[in-house]
Amino acid sequence: MNVKGFFVTALSQALDLSIASPDDVLRHVTPELLANYLPRPLWARLLTACMGASKVDAQLVVETIGVPNLCEHIPSQVIWACLKEIAQRTLGREVTHEPLVALPPPLVSRPTAAIPLSMTPPPAERAKTPAPGVPVAVGPSIPPPGSAQGLADVVAALESDERPSASGRSRSPTQQRFRQSNTGIGRLAATNTRRPQATATPTVSEPPPPPAARQVRRGSTEADAYDIETEVGKDDWKNALAVEDEQLVDWSGTDETVTSSETHDGYGRKR
Amino acid sequence: MMESGLEHEVFAPTDVLSHATPDVLASHLPPELLSKVLAASLASGSMTPERVLETVTPELLAKHLPHDVLWACIAAAAARAGVTSGAA
Repeated sequence: MNVKGFFVTALSQALDLSIASPDDVLRHVTPELLANYLPRPLWARLLTACMGASKVDAQLVVETIGVPNLCEHIPSQVIWACLKEIAQRTLGREVTHEPLVALPPPLVSRPTAAIPLSMTPPPAERAKTPAPGVPVAVGPSIPPPGSAQGLADVVAALESDERPSASGRSRSPTQQRFRQSNTGIGRLAATNTRRPQATATPTVSEPPPPPAARQVRRGSTEADAYDIETEVGKDDWKNALAVEDEQLVDWSGTDETVTSSETHDGYGRKR
Repeated sequence: MMESGLEHEVFAPTDVLSHATPDVLASHLPPELLSKVLAASLASGSMTPERVLETVTPELLAKHLPHDVLWACIAAAAARAGVTSGAA
């Protein structure tokens, strides 16, 4: 396991891609840490660069020391903390843009993962909340008879429940949905006047017809064309050449058009 | 002597750092001073000899840097001022 190599790549890429800035690095790799862990030759290089530079900033420090040297000499915990902060910030931005992010959970489990995880459970709870809403209409009729009334009352209540279930025709809207979709499909059904039988089946019957029609169209036209070409070319090829020379000179002067016109001539002659 | 030479402008901070090179500073200054120098430079946006000597005072220079380096600085200043030739 080459953790430092990983850090070098990650931090270098982050800086190159502007995901991270040198200020982010020096926020963790403080001058104190540099003083304690950076070798003195590197410090000499850093001081030399700083003395000769017109402006001393984090970029100068990071570029002078170099990411490989930072990752080599600075404790890995510090580099990791830096990368972690960069990742959290970056992933946090992505979460704001895109609510559904599959990557954050495995990469960052503490802050950003809490948001998507909290997003996934609600759908299951939402499914629970509407469910009780439906039985509520059924429930109230059941308890009253169960309390003191006899079986006849229960049966009556069940019968009465059937009525509300009829009111449950609210499900019929779902059927209307299918009907609407069928109306959309009705176009194809209208075209398929052959089968007036089922309005619902056309969805199943639709797929087969198109391929058949396609095969018939393509196969017939293409096969005919090829057949005609080969047959005609074989039959009147020499006679056709005698006619071509004159006509080609009249139509176009370039060789390219002649080559292309050969095919056209063939089609023209055939026709 | 270092403080007095700077105070009386016998030599300037630039002259000091021409002897107390970055290599010398990096080799002999303690980490605390190095971090202070860098932090001060980052805060001000530049690392000038004056700013370095504000952090690494002549007293600290005399405490941490080899004395022959400091003496070379003083001797060079004296030579520029013509003191050495008069003494000879």
